[in-house]
Amino acid sequence: MPVNHEVSEDGKIVTIFVEERFDFSLHQAFRDAYIDSEIKNGKVIIDLQSTTYMDSSALGMILLLKDFTDNASSTIVIRNANESVYKVLYIAQFNRLMEIEQ
Amino acid sequence: MSIIDTKFEQKLALVVDDSLMQCTILSHLLSEQSYQVVTANNGKEAIEMYVKHQPDLVLMDINMPVMNGYEAAKKIKALSHKDSLAPLIFITSLDSDKAYIDSIEAGGDGILVRPFSSEVFKAKIKSIQRISDLYSQVKSLQQEQQKDAELAEKLMSDVIESRNVMLDRIDIAKQPAMLFSGDIQLTALCPNGDVHALLGDFTGHGLRSSIGAIPLAETFRAMTRKGFSLEQIIKQINQQLFHLLPKDLFLAVAFVKISLDEDVLYTFNAGLPDMYVIDNEAKIKNKLGSIHPPLGVLASLLGDVKVSVVPIAENDNVVMISDGILEARNKHGEMYDIERFEECIRTSATDNTIAQSLLEQVNEFSADAIQEDDLSIIVLPCGGWESSNQVLSQAPFEQELTIDEIDNTLLLWQWRLALHAEKLITVNPIPIVMSQMQELEGENQHFQSVYTIFTELFVNALDHGLLELDSKLKSTADGFALYYEERQQRLTSLSTGSIEIELYFYKTGTRNKLVIRIIDSGKGFNVEQYIDENKKHHDNIVKLSGRGVELVKELSYSLEYNSVGNAVEVSYIW
Repeated sequence: MPVNHEVSEDGKIVTIFVEERFDFSLHQAFRDAYIDSEIKNGKVIIDLQSTTYMDSSALGMILLLKDFTDNASSTIVIRNANESVYKVLYIAQFNRLMEIEQ
Repeated sequence: MSIIDTKFEQKLALVVDDSLMQCTILSHLLSEQSYQVVTANNGKEAIEMYVKHQPDLVLMDINMPVMNGYEAAKKIKALSHKDSLAPLIFITSLDSDKAYIDSIEAGGDGILVRPFSSEVFKAKIKSIQRISDLYSQVKSLQQEQQKDAELAEKLMSDVIESRNVMLDRIDIAKQPAMLFSGDIQLTALCPNGDVHALLGDFTGHGLRSSIGAIPLAETFRAMTRKGFSLEQIIKQINQQLFHLLPKDLFLAVAFVKISLDEDVLYTFNAGLPDMYVIDNEAKIKNKLGSIHPPLGVLASLLGDVKVSVVPIAENDNVVMISDGILEARNKHGEMYDIERFEECIRTSATDNTIAQSLLEQVNEFSADAIQEDDLSIIVLPCGGWESSNQVLSQAPFEQELTIDEIDNTLLLWQWRLALHAEKLITVNPIPIVMSQMQELEGENQHFQSVYTIFTELFVNALDHGLLELDSKLKSTADGFALYYEERQQRLTSLSTGSIEIELYFYKTGTRNKLVIRIIDSGKGFNVEQYIDENKKHHDNIVKLSGRGVELVKELSYSLEYNSVGNAVEVSYIW
């Protein structure tokens, strides 16, 4: 599966893993990873350790997730982005919208 | 929205078998499935019949005289229309792995091994028909998508970008991807001849990526024409796109304003790759990176992010690109990237062929690979604008008015606006004044001069009168950036003071006379000393550090300060 996710025992942390190319083809899979979670005052971690590429539609998907987490009083953390993926996030200044661990 | 059309007309099948008996049996089975049937007795005939009848389905024997089934299948598949599958099923008694593999290799979509019951036959036809229907659905969806992309591209280039200005001086290069990907390039002129340019990249492909293009172009052009500042235009566009676009769509965009009088560049980069300032000796003088999330993401702009001011020289060029340039890939999957980009603009900067060279090099680099994203480049020269823009402003009226004209002066309307500290922070009265003028008097070529006069006077009243900024700060190009920063700071913390603006419009005989009066609540300045000083170093200092009064004087019929220096009255006659 190109998108996997884990939920912590207390249900407060959802971690989403994206494999290889994070682009429009993952639209549904990425949404499915969080949409049914009943997270509240929690955290969604996008772990990009296996992501090799990311395009602007992926940024759009993250914005949809942000809408979701905002409504659930939760936050987003992006971690383990490789250099080129980090650059895409940085050019879009997503560091101003959510936490990006370097 | 069109719906995939279902064919209600009877389907046609071609049966190819050298045995007449087999042909008859298969034809019978097919007609029970409500197919019309034509037959052929060898591969060669089959091809002829195929070309003539364009059947929806082919049933093909393998061993036949003249031309066998495999060969005929290959030729038929090569001839078949790309928009439909026209499935081909081999009918054989060769029940071996090899027969199966060879059938598929020859282009067959399935195989039926004799003997089979009529139920199995029907099931097979049904399943192959299902695949064929799916195939045509996919094809027609693909065509829809292609049409959308073409429409989007046409919209961008014909409707929106065809209204760009100054294309003889601004170099714009663009190459849409196979599936148009939402790049947009706009240029427009401010009332005083300053140049605004924008390079944008909407997320998504095809029509979806062009939803925001028309409002973007309209707002950018209208607000530029009316004299709004870059910052106000950006704010407005952001707000519009935020309301208009779905959450996951946004606009990565860079704005540039070349200010002719000040020799500076105003820029704002929200989500695009670095913009470059490069001189004609191939030296990269400045890189202006993204400082804000793309527009349409946040309801309002981040408070701490401002338009930046960058000094420029006559021979500089500004280079703006979309990420399609840097991310263009070759067939090994490597990206064009920054190093190649910088090398290319350096080598092409000296002979001013940046845009063209860049496009050529990227194409060369990614030859044999599919172009995944639009390629867009804008190259703006920083100097040489005066000559091309001067024609726009009208020469002022210089004769004295006759006694007769003075006697017949009639006030047609007057208009007054007083702005107090809090409003001055957020409201720019320049477009308000210009739009009042336009609404009352219609479009007029003289309004460019009026705009320049009014802008100079208002900026003086605000910057020097209320904010007490020293214009000497502006005497160097670097100082201008400092000045601008200081100005922003003082303006946002302004708590007292006001500026009054009054307009009087007269008819004097056959002429029109506009009187502009601006009064600020500041301390004023020593008018006589200022004029004396200005006369001393009249030649070069005036351009950067003067209060722009010289310019106003040149453009207007008369100019007078009160003795304190906090009220000014200018008349303009045409």
